[in-house]
Amino acid sequence: MSAPGPMPPTAIQRTDATAIRWIDATAIRWIDALAACAAAPADPPAPDAPALLRRWHPDAQPNATEPLRVGASAGMRCPPALAALLQANTLIDDVDVAGAAVVETDVLVIGGGGGGCVAALTAVAAGRKVLVVTKFGLGDSNTVMAEGGIQAAVGAEDSLQAHYDDTLAGGQRAGDPTLVRTLVSEGPAAIRWLIGQGMTFDLDESGHNLRRKRAGGTSVPRILSTRDVTGLELMRVLREATLLRPGITVWNRSPAVELLSDAAGRCRGAVIYSLYLHRFVTVRAGAVILTTGGAGRLHINDFPTSNHLGATADGLVLAYRLGATLREVDSFQYHPTGVAWPRALRGQLISEAARSLGAQLRNGRGERFVPELSPRDVVAAAMLREIGEGRGVERDGCVGVLLDTPGLERARPGVLAQSLVSLGHVAHKSGVDPVREPMLVCPTLHYQNGGIAIAADGATGVPGLFCAGEVAGGIHGRNRLMGNALLELVVFGRRAGAAAAGLAQAAGPGGRANLDHVQDWRRALVAAGLPLDARAPLLFPEIANFDLTADRAPHRAPHRAAAVAA
Amino acid sequence: MDALTRDQLAIEPARVLTAPDLLVGSSLPGWHAAGGGIGLRRALEDRAGIIGVLERAGLRGLGGAGFPTHRKWEAVAAQPGPEKVVVCNGNEDEPGTFKDRFLLGRTPHQVIEGALIAALAVGARQVVMYVNPHLGSVLPTVAEAVAAWRADPVLLELAAALGGPVTLEARASSGRYIGGEETAVVAWLEGSFPFPRRKPPFPAESGVHGKPTLINNAETLAHVPHILRHGAAWFRSRGRGGAPGTKLFSLSGDVQRPGLYELPMGTPLAELIEEHGGGMLMGRAFKAVFTGGPSNTLLTADHLDVPLDFDSVRARGSRLGTGAMIVVSEGTSIPRRVTEFVEFFAESSCGQCPPCKTGTYQLATLLHRIDSGHGTRADLDSIRQLCGLLPGSGRCGLIDGAVTVVASSLERFGAEYESMLRG
Ligand SMILES: Cc1cc2nc3c(=O)[nH]c(=O)nc-3n(C[C@H](O)[C@H](O)[C@H](O)COP(=O)(O)OP(=O)(O)OC[C@H]3O[C@@H](n4cnc5c(N)ncnc54)[C@H](O)[C@@H]3O)c2cc1C
Ligand SMILES: Cc1cc2nc3c(=O)[nH]c(=O)nc-3n(C[C@H](O)[C@H](O)[C@H](O)COP(=O)(O)O)c2cc1C
Repeated sequence: MSAPGPMPPTAIQRTDATAIRWIDATAIRWIDALAACAAAPADPPAPDAPALLRRWHPDAQPNATEPLRVGASAGMRCPPALAALLQANTLIDDVDVAGAAVVETDVLVIGGGGGGCVAALTAVAAGRKVLVVTKFGLGDSNTVMAEGGIQAAVGAEDSLQAHYDDTLAGGQRAGDPTLVRTLVSEGPAAIRWLIGQGMTFDLDESGHNLRRKRAGGTSVPRILSTRDVTGLELMRVLREATLLRPGITVWNRSPAVELLSDAAGRCRGAVIYSLYLHRFVTVRAGAVILTTGGAGRLHINDFPTSNHLGATADGLVLAYRLGATLREVDSFQYHPTGVAWPRALRGQLISEAARSLGAQLRNGRGERFVPELSPRDVVAAAMLREIGEGRGVERDGCVGVLLDTPGLERARPGVLAQSLVSLGHVAHKSGVDPVREPMLVCPTLHYQNGGIAIAADGATGVPGLFCAGEVAGGIHGRNRLMGNALLELVVFGRRAGAAAAGLAQAAGPGGRANLDHVQDWRRALVAAGLPLDARAPLLFPEIANFDLTADRAPHRAPHRAAAVAA
Repeated sequence: MDALTRDQLAIEPARVLTAPDLLVGSSLPGWHAAGGGIGLRRALEDRAGIIGVLERAGLRGLGGAGFPTHRKWEAVAAQPGPEKVVVCNGNEDEPGTFKDRFLLGRTPHQVIEGALIAALAVGARQVVMYVNPHLGSVLPTVAEAVAAWRADPVLLELAAALGGPVTLEARASSGRYIGGEETAVVAWLEGSFPFPRRKPPFPAESGVHGKPTLINNAETLAHVPHILRHGAAWFRSRGRGGAPGTKLFSLSGDVQRPGLYELPMGTPLAELIEEHGGGMLMGRAFKAVFTGGPSNTLLTADHLDVPLDFDSVRARGSRLGTGAMIVVSEGTSIPRRVTEFVEFFAESSCGQCPPCKTGTYQLATLLHRIDSGHGTRADLDSIRQLCGLLPGSGRCGLIDGAVTVVASSLERFGAEYESMLRG
């Protein structure tokens, strides 16, 4: 039955389509790989995780990172694509906000994903006036795309300690113990809060208990989910609550382009660019919460990404300029199962739920090569090893390994249709019937493990500036477990919302707010010999073809032309 | 105003008050090792000659007004009786000025010695170091320095010369901007709220508790021991183009290296910006400078050649003030800066004089409307009208300063205001 001995790799063309520069190898032809998969595989070998990560994890490659030269975390390493933005000049000048409308609020929330909505709902519940500004529509975010689910130690055989241990170990012990303790301790309350907001979760066979799934790197089943559209359900509920709640104002299509500060360096609001008005608006606030999410659209290390269009690291850029410190910004998560073929869908995510439910990964020889529920960094590194050592699978010039959906369906008939709804959608868009054909998958840039350093109440090093969600760092260490990001945005969104509300009440929206920190920042750039023509935040990735200067045409903003001429 | 909180200092050959060996903090032996005490010794030897030396040196008040120091000293000296007071004004709270905090925090002994020499010259037995308590460790440092002098036997010599015991003390001021005005200083030292009073009588005639009071800025007093030690001619030779001495310049705004620079009096503005300030930030075009802080006429690119001394700056229609230079480049909005300054004046008005209390508030409100995109032509007209009405309507100079900066910015950058109006 099981074909003994390795299949000889069929000679194959160079793998252009990995598009991952440091991997240059041959691969096994799709049809040969399918043939090799006919036989049932042996159990995968136990990986030597540290060695595997050192050799094959993208973050560990030479030139994957460079040290920052200016700012509060100068010397820290991060990918060159991120460093270029972190060390760029501002998009705007003082004259650009002269005559801009001024709006005052108690709490300003920047970013309308899950973290932003949770923070806004918490701050408004504390009696504060809240303004949420977001780059696209409210909810258009990474949150809405989360499929797998959310972790919280609610099971009888589970414990806060187990969740704590799993999270710290999964993060290679680089996480901040206080933050992790906070995360897991408030997990059950966060779930209760979500249910209170109206979120539904899948129940187990008894129909009384929350259904719990296993996630990579966890010791017990701990993932709560709504089929494989957990983020969609979460965002649906939070978005509705946010829109319906008096006291919260939402501005869509209104990216933040710069933070405001006072003479003491305290964050006092932000400059917003309204894509409706084609104008800047100055928002003065008693406290600001950044919930701008991640950085996938920077395509770090040339990887495709699972992230939405808005994930351009804006929050990191704005906070860093104002003096916030960063941590683990050299560490990104590459989700093992991104679509590798067809090319048009590259990077799109196939949820870990598939592997949680038993789907196996097979290389071009039909072998399983890593326990599928190992931590994500280990699985992704093992996949890159297979590809890099010539055991990858090639289809129409795209290279990856196989996610054995037919095998899963054979083992658990009906599971694809019942529990893997969004996998079905992706397969459908790919023109694949997952019951009959495996999916070609390759690691995809998925999550920013690090971010802005925060305290347990979401406070950054900059007074008046708070963070929550993916933009914050310190919880996941150097690798995040599935389901901990959604939990993080709820737990720390609530904490940041409460802390910001408290501060805003004490401070009020008043006080002088300007762009003085921008001049300090520019002086630092000049002193470090860095160029001043690079501009950030990016706001929109290149494919969006957005040009702030052109969008803000002179006839739409007469005072700029006049002020420059004066 | 980023440089406000900074204690940056460039190394310059001209440094007299900020020479590296003088930066001894509260250590009196350190001050003596750097040549301290000699000026006071000379003063004790020739008490009657002190004021003449200052006159020949041409020292002028560095607290903003530039009033000849020897004349103030003569006025107090001329008052009868032994009950006189010398006050060192270290209240410094104006946006863009950060010189006195450096002197008092890093090298306070020259200031104290200057105050003691003043006491000797005018015949005062009470010396008060009046210091803003909001400047970090500055007040504690001055208090330590004062304690060191109290234990020094030279105070006994002073007492002998003055015919009675000398009291020297450090006092926390209110820390309010208005508390630096000289009659407000008097009011605070008498135990009241620092309300400015009508002049005359001037403090020189009737100051603290009716006693003749000499009030000088910390930087003014800091020069005194050096002048007595090295002589008037030496002091004059420190300056350029006929202006005497050195001056501390608080350089801030859109320059590459903001900070505190001690340079010869009469150094051209362009030199301060280019050579010492490292040039305009990002190589942008120079637009204007708020000379002497936020309450004077703006100077524009035509005036980059102006020598920074009292008379030359005045000849261009502005004032040297405290030596603060807030530089503005293309890319920075003048109306926004002015709005901030006027908001500061409105907050700082003590409220005694209705025109000042309501006038600064009105100006700030109108400017704020324009800065936030709601302003109309009528608002701009109202501002112009207020600028005609308000000057001279307060008992101190606060309202005049606010009006000066608004009127001057309107005159030179009117188009920038117009472009911000609604509709
Ligand atoms: C495909 C996918 C699947 C995932 N699955 C899971 C999962 O199963 N379980 C789990 O726990 N986690 C999962 N994650 C991770 C998780 O979804 C995210 O980490 C989390 O939702 C981030 O939430 P957030 O609120 O911090 O950011 P986001 O939800 O990304 O929201 C950020 C918002 O800020 C806006 N924004 C950005 N810049 C600006 C600006 N300059 N001005 C104004 N607004 C701005 C963005 O447009 C966006 O609306 C998944 C992520 C992806 C991409
Ligand atoms: C509103 C106002 C605030 C002032 N603040 C100060 C101050 O903080 N420090 C200071 O030395 N002089 C200040 N002055 C100037 C003083 O009134 C006084 O002229 C000065 O202390 C005299 O010292 P000089 O002759 O050595 O310059 C202020 C004046 C006004 C009108």
